[in-house]
Amino acid sequence: MEYVIEMNNITKEFGNFKALDDVTFKVKKGEVHALLGENGAGKSTLMSVLFGLYQAEKGEIKINGEAVKINNPNDANALSIGMVHQHFKLVHNFTVLESIVLGKETIKRGFLKMDDARKKVMDLSNRYNLRIDPDAYISDITVGMQQRVEILKMLYRDNDMLIFDEPTAVLTPQEIEELMKIMKHLVDEGKSIIFISHKLNEIKEVANRCSVLRKGKYIGTVDVETTSKEEMSEMMVGRKINFHLDKIEVKPGETVLEVKNLTIRSKLSKKDVVNNVSFKARKGEILCVAGIDGNGQSELVYGITGLMPINNGQIILNGEDITKKSIRKRSVAGMSHIPEDRHKHGLVLDYNLQQNAVLQTYFEPRFQNHGFIKFGAVRQYAQKLIGQYDIRSGQGEDSIVRDMSGGNQQKVIIARELDRNPEVVVAVQPTRGLDVGATEYIHKQLIAQRDAGKAVLLVSLELDEVMDVSDRIVVMYEGEIVADLNPKEITVQELGLYMAGSKRSVNNEKEA
Amino acid sequence: MKKKHNLLQSKGTSSFFSVIMAIVAGLLFGFVILLISNYKNAFPALITIIKGGFTNGTSGLGQVLYMATPIIMTGLSVGFAFKTGLFNIGASGQFTTGAFVAVYIGIKWTFLPSGIHWIVALLGAIIAGALWGMVPGILKALANVNEVITSIMMNYIGIYLVNMLIVKSIYDPLKNQTESVPKSAIIPRGGLEQLFDVKNMNIGIFIAIFAVILIYIVLSKTTFGYELKACGHSPSASQYAGINDKRNIILSMVIAGALAGLGGGLLYLSGSGKYMQVIDILAPEGFNGISVALLGMSNPIGILFAGLFIAHIKVGGNNIQLYNYSAEIIDIIIAVIIYCGAFSLLFKNLIHKLTRRNKLEKEEGR
Amino acid sequence: MDIFYFIVQQTMFFAIPLLIVALGGMFAERSGVVNIALEGIMVMGAFTSIFFIHFMQDKMSGQLLLILAVLVAGLTGGIFSLLHAFASINLKADQTISGTALNMFAPAFAIFTARMIQTVQQVQFTDTFFISKVPVLGSIPVIGPLLFRNCYITTYIGIGIAIAAEIVINHTRFGLRLRSCGEHPQAADSVGINVYKIRYAGVVISGVLAGIGGLVFVVPTSTNFNATVAGYGFLALAVLIFGQWRTKRIIFAAFFFGIMKTFASAYSGIPFLKGLPISNEVYKMIPYIATLVILTISSKSSQAPRAEGIPYDKGSR
Repeated sequence: MEYVIEMNNITKEFGNFKALDDVTFKVKKGEVHALLGENGAGKSTLMSVLFGLYQAEKGEIKINGEAVKINNPNDANALSIGMVHQHFKLVHNFTVLESIVLGKETIKRGFLKMDDARKKVMDLSNRYNLRIDPDAYISDITVGMQQRVEILKMLYRDNDMLIFDEPTAVLTPQEIEELMKIMKHLVDEGKSIIFISHKLNEIKEVANRCSVLRKGKYIGTVDVETTSKEEMSEMMVGRKINFHLDKIEVKPGETVLEVKNLTIRSKLSKKDVVNNVSFKARKGEILCVAGIDGNGQSELVYGITGLMPINNGQIILNGEDITKKSIRKRSVAGMSHIPEDRHKHGLVLDYNLQQNAVLQTYFEPRFQNHGFIKFGAVRQYAQKLIGQYDIRSGQGEDSIVRDMSGGNQQKVIIARELDRNPEVVVAVQPTRGLDVGATEYIHKQLIAQRDAGKAVLLVSLELDEVMDVSDRIVVMYEGEIVADLNPKEITVQELGLYMAGSKRSVNNEKEA
Repeated sequence: MKKKHNLLQSKGTSSFFSVIMAIVAGLLFGFVILLISNYKNAFPALITIIKGGFTNGTSGLGQVLYMATPIIMTGLSVGFAFKTGLFNIGASGQFTTGAFVAVYIGIKWTFLPSGIHWIVALLGAIIAGALWGMVPGILKALANVNEVITSIMMNYIGIYLVNMLIVKSIYDPLKNQTESVPKSAIIPRGGLEQLFDVKNMNIGIFIAIFAVILIYIVLSKTTFGYELKACGHSPSASQYAGINDKRNIILSMVIAGALAGLGGGLLYLSGSGKYMQVIDILAPEGFNGISVALLGMSNPIGILFAGLFIAHIKVGGNNIQLYNYSAEIIDIIIAVIIYCGAFSLLFKNLIHKLTRRNKLEKEEGR
Repeated sequence: MDIFYFIVQQTMFFAIPLLIVALGGMFAERSGVVNIALEGIMVMGAFTSIFFIHFMQDKMSGQLLLILAVLVAGLTGGIFSLLHAFASINLKADQTISGTALNMFAPAFAIFTARMIQTVQQVQFTDTFFISKVPVLGSIPVIGPLLFRNCYITTYIGIGIAIAAEIVINHTRFGLRLRSCGEHPQAADSVGINVYKIRYAGVVISGVLAGIGGLVFVVPTSTNFNATVAGYGFLALAVLIFGQWRTKRIIFAAFFFGIMKTFASAYSGIPFLKGLPISNEVYKMIPYIATLVILTISSKSSQAPRAEGIPYDKGSR
C-alpha cells in the first residue's frame, strides 16, 4: 500500500524547545487518518509543517512518493494539500464567494471576473452536498456554513489531501454528524483526510487509522477498529486516566445567586441574545450552563458579572439585589469570575504575577495605605498563592504573566478568584486549551469549592465536562433556558438534543 | 533574591543601551547630512552639537536648563498619557492654552500681591491645559473617538482661539504679540541667574523636577497609578477587575493636559523676553514633548534626562549656526533617534523574551 | 449664481488634496498599516516638487511642468513612505511612533535643505498653471463655470485618482487581496497571499498619493512653500475616519471639509458671511470643530479594518 503523505523524522524547534521531536507520520490514499494528542502535543505544529506555515529543522516530507520542500501554503496548495484551520480563516466582510476564491481569483486583465468561479463553486457545492449562499457575508452565516465554506475553499483548489484541524469543536451534534457524512463522502471520491482531534468518540466513528503524539513525540499508529478508546487515550496521555472524578455527595443548601427574567438585547443584531432567563444557584452545588457556543452563555455571564448592561431582569446575590451594582461592588459582595477569555479579561498580560494576583483586591486595606501600595504585603501574598496553587513560572512572583504557559496563567486566575473566599464562583470554560493534568486540577478545585459550601456556576461547551463535574445542568439554546436536568438521569445523546434545540423541557415562564 | 536584582538591573541597562544606540545612529545620520551639505566644517559642527550646553561655561548650562523646562513638562504630559495607553499628540494645544491663561492672569490680575501673583498665573495655566486635555479624554471615554485625531483638532482650535483672545485682550499690535508680563507674575529667579550667568534662569526647572518626582510616585507607588497602567496595558482586563476605565481615561488626559499647560506657563512667565506671537503655527514644545517622552521611554525619570539631552543638543544646534549650518539639523537628528528607537526597543524586548522563555521552559520542564 | 460658482471653485482647491491624501490613507489602512505620517509625506512631496518647479520654471512652464512636478511629488512620497513600511512591516515597530518620527523629520529636512541651498527656507515658484477657462468645456452652461473655469489640472488628476481608487479597491484582484490583509491577515496568509508585500504596496500607494497631495495643496493656495501643509495630513486622517474607510464616503467627506475650509479662508468673498460680526479666527476654527463633532457622532459605528495597526507576525497564529 503506498502512502500519499510521508513525513519522516520531523523535528521542529522553537528556541530551545522541541515542539516536534523525530516525528514520523504517514497517510494512505483514500483513508481518514486521525491525529490524536493533547493540547500542546504538537498536532498543529506538525500540520503547520506539512502546510508550509513552519519549516522543520530536520526530516523529510514525501508527497506521492516524491521528496518535496514545502515553504509556504502556496507550495502545499500546488501539491494539492488543503487545510481547514481550527479558527476559520475567513474575512468577516467578504461574501462567501469572495472568501472561496481569495488567493486563486479568476481575472481578466487584473479585474475580478467572478462568473467562472461562481459556476465552479456551485458545481462543487451540489456535488458534495455542501449547502452555501455564495452572496451572503461571512459575518451573517452560521458557524456550520462557515465550515462548509472552508471545505469548499479546498475543493475549489482541487486539493486531494485535506487536513481538518479540530473541526467539531464549534459544531452542534447534528452538524457534527453532517460533517462526518461529508468526510466519508470525500474519501469515497478519492480524497485523503487527516482528522486532528482529541475526541475519541469521533475518531472511533469516522477514522480508519489513528496516529498519536504526546509532548512532541510520536507514540504510534493504530487501527481504529481494533483499538479501544481506553487504549488510545492511554497512548495520548501516557498513563491510565480516570474518566470519573471522585465526588462526595453534598446536599445543596440555600440559594446564593438568583437570576430572574434576565434579558439582554444585542446592539448589533437587535435580537434578545439572552431571553428571559431565570435560575437559582445554591450552596454546595455546581450548576452547569451547557449549550453550543454562541447561544447566549457569554452574554449571560457578562450580564451577571456586570461587564454588559442588561435590558431586563434581576440578579440577586445572597438576598441582595445587585442588578444595578458596578462590577467592583459585585466582586466585593462575593462574586468571583473566572472569565472565558483569560488573555482579554482575566489578566493584565504585561503586569507581573504579583500585580495580577491582587487585580481584584489591590484596593483593600491589607494591600494599600492611603492610596500607597504595600509592596511587601503584595509580594508575600503572591508567594503564598504560588505555593498553595502550585503556580510555576520562570521568576516566581516577578514573572511577567505574558511569558507564562497557558496552564499556569489559568492557575493565577483560579488562585486569585478562589482565594478571596467568594460566595459564588462563575467559571466560564475554565479548562479551555489546557492539557489533561491541568484540566483535572481545575476540576478538583471547583469541586473543593462546592464541598466547602460555595455555589459554583460553570459554563462549559465540553459535554464530558458538563456530565462529569456538574450537580445540575441547565441548557441554553438561542438565549433561552430549554432544560433543567440532573446529570445522573440523562445520557450525553439526550443532552445533545437539548443543546441542538430539538427538545425542550422547560417553559419560558416557569422558574428553574 | 539576588538573582532577581541582577535581572532587573540588566533590563534597565539594556534599555539604556538601546537608547544610546538610537542616539548614536541619529548623530551619525546628522553627521552624514552635515558632510553632504558642507564637508569642510562637518566635523567641528558635530563636535559642537555633542558638546551642546557645555560650550559656553555656566551660561550654556543655564541655557540648557531653561530650554529643558518646558519640554520636560510636555514630555511628562505625553509620557503620562502613554502609560494609560493614550497618545497625547495634543500637548501642543494644551501648552498654548496654558501659556495664554498664565500670561493673561499675569497681565490683567495685577491686584494680586507679588508673592502670589505668579503662583496664581501658573495655577491658571494648569487648569487651562487640563481643560484642553479633558476634551479628547471625554470623547475617547464616552464616544470612543480616536484621541490622536481629536487632540490634533484641539491643537488647531487652541492656536486660533488663543490668537483671537490675545488680539481681544492683551495685544501689542506693533509687535504682533502679547503685552509684557509685569514683574510680580514672573517666576522668582532664586539667585539662579547669578549662579548660571543667564538672566532668564529661574526656579522653573525645580518646579519641573518636582513634577517629575510627583508623577513618578503616582505611577509607581500608588493604587491610582496601578489602575492607570492596567488601563493602558489592557482596557478589557481593567474593566473586568472593576476599574473605572472611562474615569481613568478622562483623568489621565486631564493630568496630561495640566502638565503641558504648566509647561506653557513656565516658559512664558520666565521673563526671558519671549512673548506669545500671533501666528498660525503650533507650539513646537508640544511636539518636542513627544520626542522627549519616547526617548525617555515614558518613564518620568527617563523623561527628565531625555528633556535635558534634547535641550542640550538644541543648544548645540544653535551654536553650529556659526559654521553656517541651519539649526534644523537637530530636529532631523531627533527624528532619526525616535525612528531608530521605535525598533531598538523592539530588539531589546525580543532578546528579553527569548532569554526569559528559555528560562521558563527549563524551570517548567517536568 | 457667481457666488455659487466661486464657492464650488474654491472648494475644489481645498477638497482635492484632502481627497487624494485620504484615499492614500485608505490604501495603507485597508492593508492593515496605520499611516499617521501622511502629514510628513505631504511635506516631503510638496518640498521636492516645488523645488523642481523652482529650478525648471525658466525652461518650461504650464501644464507640462505641473504634471512633471506631480510625478516628482509622487515619487518622493513613495520613497519616503518606504521608511514607514520598513519600520511597521519588517521591524514590527509601533506604527504611531514610526509615523511621528517621519512627521518630525519632514519639515526639519525641508527647512534645513532649503536653507543650505538658497539661505531662506521659503521656496518660491511662479504659478503658471492656473486655467481661467478650459477650451470648449468651459463654455458649457452651468457645468462649464462650475468645473472648467478658474481651476487647475490637479483637480482632474484628483478626480481621476478617486475613480481609479474605487475601481482598484473593489473590482480588482489586488484590491480584494489588500482588503483581506487589513481585515484578517492570517486568512490571507493561509491562501498563499504575501501579507508583507501587500502591506508594502498599500503603504507605498499611500506615500505616492500623499506626496502628490502635498503639491496639489500648495499650488492653488500659495506662491511659495514654507515647509508646512497646515495640518492637512491630519485632516485627511479625519476625512478617512469620517469616510469610514470607503471610497465613496471619503469623496463625500473630503468635499464636506473642502466647503468648511472654503468658508474659513474665503468668507470675505462671500457676501452673506462677510457681513457677519465673526472674527477671522472663528472661521479658521470651524473645520476643526466640525471634525470633532462629526467624529463624535460617527465613531460609534466604526468600520475600521480589523487588523489595522497590528503588525503581522507569521509565527503567531
